[in-house]
Amino acid sequence: MKSISKYWSIFQITLINSLAYPGELVGRSLMIIPFMWIFYQLWKVTFSAAGAADGMINGLTLRDTLWYLMLAETIELGRPPIARTMSENVKDGSIAYILNKPYDFLLYQFSTAMGETIFRAMLNAVFGGLTVWWLVGTPNHPEGFLIALPAIFGAWILHFSINAMIGLSAFVVEDVSAFTWIYQKLAFIFGGMLIPLDFYPQWLQNIAKLLPFSSAIYGPARLFVTPTLELFISVMSLQITWIIALTFALAIVYRRGLAQLTVNGG
Amino acid sequence: MVSIDVTNLQKTFQTKRKAAGLGGSIRSLFKPDYSSVEAVRNLSFQMSSGELLGFIGPNGAGKSTTIKILTGILHPSGGEAKVLGFTPWIDRQKLAYHIGTVFGQRPQLWYHLPAMDTFILFGKIYELDDVETKKRIDFLTEAFEIKDLLDVPVRKLSLGQRMRCEVAASLLHRPKLLLLDEPSIGLDVVAKQHIRDAIKRMNQEEGVGVLLTSHDAGDLEALCKRVIIVNHGQIVYEDKVSNLKRKFLTTKLVEVRYAMEVSKDFAIQGVEILKVGHYGVKLKFDTTKTAVDSVISHLSGAGDIVDITISDPPLEEVIAKIYQEAENA
Repeated sequence: MKSISKYWSIFQITLINSLAYPGELVGRSLMIIPFMWIFYQLWKVTFSAAGAADGMINGLTLRDTLWYLMLAETIELGRPPIARTMSENVKDGSIAYILNKPYDFLLYQFSTAMGETIFRAMLNAVFGGLTVWWLVGTPNHPEGFLIALPAIFGAWILHFSINAMIGLSAFVVEDVSAFTWIYQKLAFIFGGMLIPLDFYPQWLQNIAKLLPFSSAIYGPARLFVTPTLELFISVMSLQITWIIALTFALAIVYRRGLAQLTVNGG
Repeated sequence: MVSIDVTNLQKTFQTKRKAAGLGGSIRSLFKPDYSSVEAVRNLSFQMSSGELLGFIGPNGAGKSTTIKILTGILHPSGGEAKVLGFTPWIDRQKLAYHIGTVFGQRPQLWYHLPAMDTFILFGKIYELDDVETKKRIDFLTEAFEIKDLLDVPVRKLSLGQRMRCEVAASLLHRPKLLLLDEPSIGLDVVAKQHIRDAIKRMNQEEGVGVLLTSHDAGDLEALCKRVIIVNHGQIVYEDKVSNLKRKFLTTKLVEVRYAMEVSKDFAIQGVEILKVGHYGVKLKFDTTKTAVDSVISHLSGAGDIVDITISDPPLEEVIAKIYQEAENA
């Protein structure tokens, strides 16, 4: 019990710490407002050009699409730069000073990452939500947000696992910014950050939906606009599979990295 | 009881070498050139529990690397080490409950939050119960005189105030051993004194052993009973601080001030004159070559002395001398 409570405390202190500069926190979150406005302009034109009688493209209305993008952006903008932080810890040697306390390094990093995420994501959801509400009205299924919550949390675990692996690769390659850039672009395209995966050609959809990027963004956002039991089960089962696979891979990378630290540290 | 037992410890780092300029960068991309640096070479020493041991040496001597091995952060390339009965790099987490560490150059307190928040967090991390944490915080605030500092965000504290909080935080879980890596770096005289007093008190009252690395000979003089001097990863000197002084502090500095103007020739065999004025003189001599009383009687023959100071050269000079001797050997 005590060992869980220490990670809870680490999460809490990061949460409080993220409030140290409230102005910066709010200011950064306001960015979602122009994003959503631009998405609205873009998709409004697209939907009217498509001219479908039921106002839908592949099962999504303009309103669904906007609410989908709001949640996708919230998940993405809320997460802290885990890979960059961890690679800096490795490069400047401060990883050594995180390692001298009786806790698990990865759980420590995860607790701090979640602590940094919560307020950012909440503010993004509030500002993004208000903007979309003003542009297209309320979501068709407001309760979808609650149903999508476990998947949102799962998405952050996935983000963490992938980014922590990228961060830890700094043990070997020293600079990871190229990898974070590639990851980000892959997440944009295969995660459905700009275009919901439903709008892709079928063959590409089939591939994209199986990749971890879709579990990290598309899955929870789609669940929010279509909160059916069937979708919930399929999103969650795929996500859990990826979480198991990637946290396992992360544990291996970490063990390898720790041995490498004997070479790079000092 | 032995708290640290190190036998033939070795640590070799692989460092990438790269020629200057773009060409060098491109070449190193395809054909990286590595060279080995022996940071720690066959280091063996012991430290008893409750001992105050100074571990000093110039930059790059292997002090910090040794401390990192002893806390379990780095794996050695060879040799054995036991800290409080644990092999650090295998039992890192278990060992962490019993040792406290302070790295002078890196803060462990949360920078934007009051130190109290970090203290409470450490209580949780070290699995103390809330009542115990509170009691301990009360005790440490009194010992380190930080009562008024605990509610101020750490970034607003002066370096001296912050270091007192840092050391206090490292003692929260009643460690048996404190590893201090340059705790006094960048501090002013008063702040150094504060930290030294508090560390001394914790050593006397709680029997916590202290292994201290420092560039400041003052830390060594004020705190440590025994000293190990390392250079190039090897021990070049190991003895009690008092013996170090006796052996190496054979030079004395004498400064005399007279009641009236004097015009005597101060030249004495074996004495180096550093400064001569109308009212005084400053000399340096080696006590093994020139007797102290002959110098004093010569000086007092020159006139009425109103003030005399006899001092040792700074310990720093002594240490520099040891480094040099080791270099030349």
